[in-house]
Amino acid sequence: MNTNPDDTTLALWLDDELEGDELSRVEAWAAEHPEQLAAREEVRRWRRMISASIPAAEEPPAAEFFNERIQHAIRESTHASGHAHRIARTWSHLWMPLAACAGMVLAFWLGMSTHQKTVEITNHGNPDATLPNLYTPLQGVEAESFTSASAAATVIVLTGIDAIPDSVDFSATAASQRWREIDSTAGNAPTAEP
Amino acid sequence: MDEPTPEADDDHLLVAQAQQGDLASFDALVTRHRGRIFAMIRNMIHQEADAWDLSQEVFIKAWQALPRFEARARFSTWLYRIAHNLVCDWTRKHRIESVGELNDEIFGRERIDARSSTTPAGGDSPADSLSHQELRHKIEDALDKLSPEHRQVVVLKDAQGLAYKEIADIMECSIGTVMSRLFYARQKLQSLLKDEYESR
Repeated sequence: MNTNPDDTTLALWLDDELEGDELSRVEAWAAEHPEQLAAREEVRRWRRMISASIPAAEEPPAAEFFNERIQHAIRESTHASGHAHRIARTWSHLWMPLAACAGMVLAFWLGMSTHQKTVEITNHGNPDATLPNLYTPLQGVEAESFTSASAAATVIVLTGIDAIPDSVDFSATAASQRWREIDSTAGNAPTAEP
Repeated sequence: MDEPTPEADDDHLLVAQAQQGDLASFDALVTRHRGRIFAMIRNMIHQEADAWDLSQEVFIKAWQALPRFEARARFSTWLYRIAHNLVCDWTRKHRIESVGELNDEIFGRERIDARSSTTPAGGDSPADSLSHQELRHKIEDALDKLSPEHRQVVVLKDAQGLAYKEIADIMECSIGTVMSRLFYARQKLQSLLKDEYESR
């Protein structure tokens, strides 16, 4: 070998990791470099000292118990994951009938509540009563009415109307003497008709 | 170096059976590799009880990850890598920082005082050489002076006898890094163990 081996090859050779043709080439080169042969011997001596003092393998104390404990841990984890899998599978089996039942209950409740609401609005506590016909002369003002039989009241909500100023004299505009005087400081105050 | 050994071939068979859920095959793998894994971890952390627990954890983690193990790597290398990661976690947790550790990148070998108080005292003569057990304690003390990375390359290379490439795979670094770490680690240890080393 005429050229020097690179650092990696030399390090591998020093630690006896080269094989085959590559080993032969470096050996041929090293034959002319006794300092490298000495360095390799030094590394070998060092490795011998370390390997003689520090074992590559050492049985753990209570080796059988060591294995048994591992087996136990594996069985525990397998059992735990199997249990979790079983629970998931049980729930997946229960899921469809439960969902179907829940759907039926929800549909029944919705049907019942819609029916009650219809009766509540249309009957108004009085079978002959009809919903008020609302008319809003101002553009952008909308009116909605809500009738409650249990409260015996109809509430009309106006949206889009300006706040009523305090200066307005309701007594002059009141159409009915039965209406109570109300505080007009509120913006969209609902108009209550007893 | 990477040629499969008969033992490695047997490993493949046992691993394949264990991957099918055969606990007995996995138990055989544990029995086969527990000595090297325990020795490696014990040499790294120098606490037998923790090494015992960590070694078990290696095998438990190996079992859990076994479905993902591909036969491209040796089973033993894969175990060493799991052990390496666990030792790193353990070291971080216990903050094992070797007090007064010398920085190899700053100090040359000749500047390391082998007669410092942390250096084991040498025998009076080669004839009074220490027993292996005594020498082991001294080497372990010296290993404690190294950083975990330097300690590990020495343990894997000089004690366990692994190849550079295998160590690089285990430590997830380049072969060049392994070589560099081993070079500095050996220099430092030889300084710390100068008397013992020269008497042999």
